[in-house]
Amino acid sequence: MSALASPSVEIETPEATSAPRGLFGWVATVDHKRIGILYLLTALVFFIVGGVEALLMRIQLARPNNTFLSPGAFNQIFTMHGTTMIFLVVMPTLFGLANYLVPLMIGARDMAFPRLNAMSYWLLPFGGLLLHFSLLAGGAPAVGWFSYAPLSETQYASTHGVDYWVLALLILGVGSVATSINLIATILTLRAPGLTIRRLPLFVWMIFVNSFLVILAIPALNAAIVMLFIDRNLSTHFFSPTHGGSALLWQHFFWAFGHPEVYIMALPAFGIISEVVPVFARRPIFGYEFVAASTVAIALLSFGVWAHHMFAVGMGHPIDLFFAASSMLIAVPTGVKVFAWSATMWGGSIRLTTAMLFAIAFLIQFTIGGLSGVTFAVVPIDWQVTDTYYLVAHFHYVLFGGTFFAVFAGLYYWFPKMTGRMLSERLGKLNFWMALIGFNTAFFVQHFLGLMGMTRRIYTYPDLPGWGLLNLISTIGAFLLGAAVLVLLWNIVVSLRHGQPAGDNPWQAWTLEWAATSPPPAQNFDRVPPIRSRRPLWDLAHPERPDPDVGGPTSRDEFAPEKNRVSMVTFLISEGAFFVMLILAYLYYNNHTMDGPTPASMLNAKRTGIFTFCLLASSLTIWLAERKLEAKKHAAFRWLLALTILLGTVFILGQGQEYLHVFHAGVMVNSNLFATTFFTLTGFHGLHVCVGLIALLIVMGISLAGDFKQGRNEAAKSIGLYWHFVDAVWLVVFSVIYLRLLL
Amino acid sequence: MTTEQFLLSAWNWNPRVIAVSAATILAYSLRYRGHFSRRIGWLLAGLAVFFLTLASPMDALADGYLFSAHMLQHLLLLLVVPPLILLSLPPVTMHGRSQNGRWKWVNWIVRRPVAMWCLGVGGMWLWHAPTLCNAAVTNGWIHRLQYVSLLVMGLAFWWPILGPWSRQRLPPLAGIAYLFSACLGCTILGIILTFAPVEVCSIYLHPIDRLGILPLVQNQWGLTPAKDQQMGGLLMWVPACLIYFSGIIGLLARWYGQANDEALVSELEPNATLIGETHAD
Repeated sequence: MSALASPSVEIETPEATSAPRGLFGWVATVDHKRIGILYLLTALVFFIVGGVEALLMRIQLARPNNTFLSPGAFNQIFTMHGTTMIFLVVMPTLFGLANYLVPLMIGARDMAFPRLNAMSYWLLPFGGLLLHFSLLAGGAPAVGWFSYAPLSETQYASTHGVDYWVLALLILGVGSVATSINLIATILTLRAPGLTIRRLPLFVWMIFVNSFLVILAIPALNAAIVMLFIDRNLSTHFFSPTHGGSALLWQHFFWAFGHPEVYIMALPAFGIISEVVPVFARRPIFGYEFVAASTVAIALLSFGVWAHHMFAVGMGHPIDLFFAASSMLIAVPTGVKVFAWSATMWGGSIRLTTAMLFAIAFLIQFTIGGLSGVTFAVVPIDWQVTDTYYLVAHFHYVLFGGTFFAVFAGLYYWFPKMTGRMLSERLGKLNFWMALIGFNTAFFVQHFLGLMGMTRRIYTYPDLPGWGLLNLISTIGAFLLGAAVLVLLWNIVVSLRHGQPAGDNPWQAWTLEWAATSPPPAQNFDRVPPIRSRRPLWDLAHPERPDPDVGGPTSRDEFAPEKNRVSMVTFLISEGAFFVMLILAYLYYNNHTMDGPTPASMLNAKRTGIFTFCLLASSLTIWLAERKLEAKKHAAFRWLLALTILLGTVFILGQGQEYLHVFHAGVMVNSNLFATTFFTLTGFHGLHVCVGLIALLIVMGISLAGDFKQGRNEAAKSIGLYWHFVDAVWLVVFSVIYLRLLL
Repeated sequence: MTTEQFLLSAWNWNPRVIAVSAATILAYSLRYRGHFSRRIGWLLAGLAVFFLTLASPMDALADGYLFSAHMLQHLLLLLVVPPLILLSLPPVTMHGRSQNGRWKWVNWIVRRPVAMWCLGVGGMWLWHAPTLCNAAVTNGWIHRLQYVSLLVMGLAFWWPILGPWSRQRLPPLAGIAYLFSACLGCTILGIILTFAPVEVCSIYLHPIDRLGILPLVQNQWGLTPAKDQQMGGLLMWVPACLIYFSGIIGLLARWYGQANDEALVSELEPNATLIGETHAD
């Protein structure tokens, strides 16, 4: 570290420093490194669970007409396998790596909000346990990981499995959004001096972009599962067609989340590959700008292609046509990346370490999965092979052959940093070859099974020519893959005890995490090396020929927003996405006449208009209050704050009165779809108003305690922002529900 | 009438459109004579799109026959013509006219990207309120007002991204957020139009067959009113977003292509083309 001493720079001090030792130290930790490792370990436990579930399915399918598992058990297992792997394994693994690495890579001491970070993590085991608790409460969900309605409605899924599924996903979703907000705030506000956004390591850049995907996509899922939960527990009919609901809307909502989710699971993997490949090819990444920009392209396009999951439901030719085109388009930025990684290796002096082997395998397997994905964009082909094993093969090539192989590469690459010891390369090579052969044996043949017509999610199949053999091969491959994972576990256990000491920078890598010791101390760095290019440690090691000074600070593209503001704005973006879904549902269901209560017969637009005016006025008062606070006029601030609270209370009481009026007319949430959507939309808004009122009261408390006198008024500003948001949402809700009655 | 006959005959040599195009070229040549550059290509492209939008058979179809053609006109006038025209303007350094009192109010407005955003996205939503949508088809003046307002709102919307005063442009990340949120705004409208069971623009449900092409449109092309509205919604949803998306890619290209200190360069060479745009040329 002595070499780093002279021109290096001080970094900000952490907000929360580490506390107790021992096992309790792990439970109580707010250190991003420990939280990252907790994420990874939890994901590993669930990975074993999900893997065992996969092997059980493969045993059942190993030969025709097998009776190893009952049909019901098989349904539960494939549902749990999918849900576990996506929400409890892939996402936590990627969040874990991001948590561990992002602060190190940007030269920060911790995440922007360490306590929020701990909360996000602890929601993961809670969610996971809740999901698995369903096994004790009448059986796991058995409706597939996308819970298509109406199969997931009470009349077809009468146990509580789906309810636990919903609650678990909600909890996990909150954790994911919180982590993503934290990551965005960290990357925007805690970068070391000189580390401009254009110099970010690609892993950090991709995590940054990915976090926006998470905060925008998860609310779509949350809105959908909240509606499903209301359907199941308050006997409403959002998604049951027999009562006027729409099963198709569930599919739209789910895939509006589900397709971005595919990229949520892929982008961080791309990030890992973009770090591993250059280091082991001994060349800087080819086309940094293209890799970075194509990431943005993928993220944005991923929101515009979800309907390709629904070609088979009969949306009509125009829709199919447009989505076929946009789905093919998304292959372009992905292809750009594959070219960039290949070109990085071209002419490099490649070191075939285990990490590099996994990265190369990723490249090939992900390309295969990507290409079979393009075939799904061709509508007639999709009609033939959708929901067959061809699809199963496709997404396993993307998620296992792609994401998991990238994670393995990342694990072999960063394990020395995390533990201070190298993983054994000998066991690593064994691990790699077994995984490679096992994976391809298990899944390549499934392409053929799918083309031969074997549908997914069947618990057994008749003894058709070739099916038995191909399935047996697939099962053998799956067990080889399972054995490969055991080798990895063995490698971790052995290396933790007897592994070679790693030193600070065993791979001669170039990004900042390798400037810390292995494992890094609690504060990460005492000083950060100077950053003048994208590879600061290269510059340090080769002062005679440093990297070109690119992406340095310009006059306008480096902005350093305040972290509370960043987190509030990103949170509100996420909330906005949630409300958009609820509003769309309201519009969708109330565009045609129906029996029972209607907006015209139930609602009084003029009276609500007055209460609306109160709410909007409160936006003005809180704005004035903030200005008084900035002018340090604390008494005036408190009066205006009190007025805001009063106006908000008047609004919420008005809403309550309207509810009472509707209840007195005998209308309940399950009366018809108008009542259902009305109560859901205004109820969620009312909930937000109440939360806002509580927050305003807290701000009042802070003010009375005199804390704002020290000039730290971020809290008041953030809550003000939230309050404006609540008002803005109401403005839209009011126009959608009430304004049509006045016009 | 066959498709071919229709495509050949339905041109509308609207004198106003020709006059506006000619006047624009004239004004541009007078204003920028002396330092002519390849930039005029953008202007010509913009005017060509403008002309095709309002004079080609597209206009005939939009005039009461097809909602989707009307939507296409919308998109071209709001999202294609304005950026092309803005690209044709040479960069202006900040110390020039913008400080003048005469331009102060423009300066004040264009520095409020939220307002610009609302104009651009609001314009899209506003003209699809059923009453306004029908009125624009039946009343000639409202029709013209619609075209003009779309162009103006388009210019306003793209100003913070492509405007000639580089200091007024949004920083790259903010620009991406600006364009992406606009894409979401469009998407939501597109989704509503695509899936709305009610007719947004009822005038297109029962076209008055002035040109005798209704059988051609509905039978041969298969564009029934239901499909037509779906197409319209999808145009707003997918291609409109792709235009914003291209804007984002352009921003990223400009950003990553930028030298380390842009301010320094532009102060040293006030007449130099803007750094980012050398890539676009």
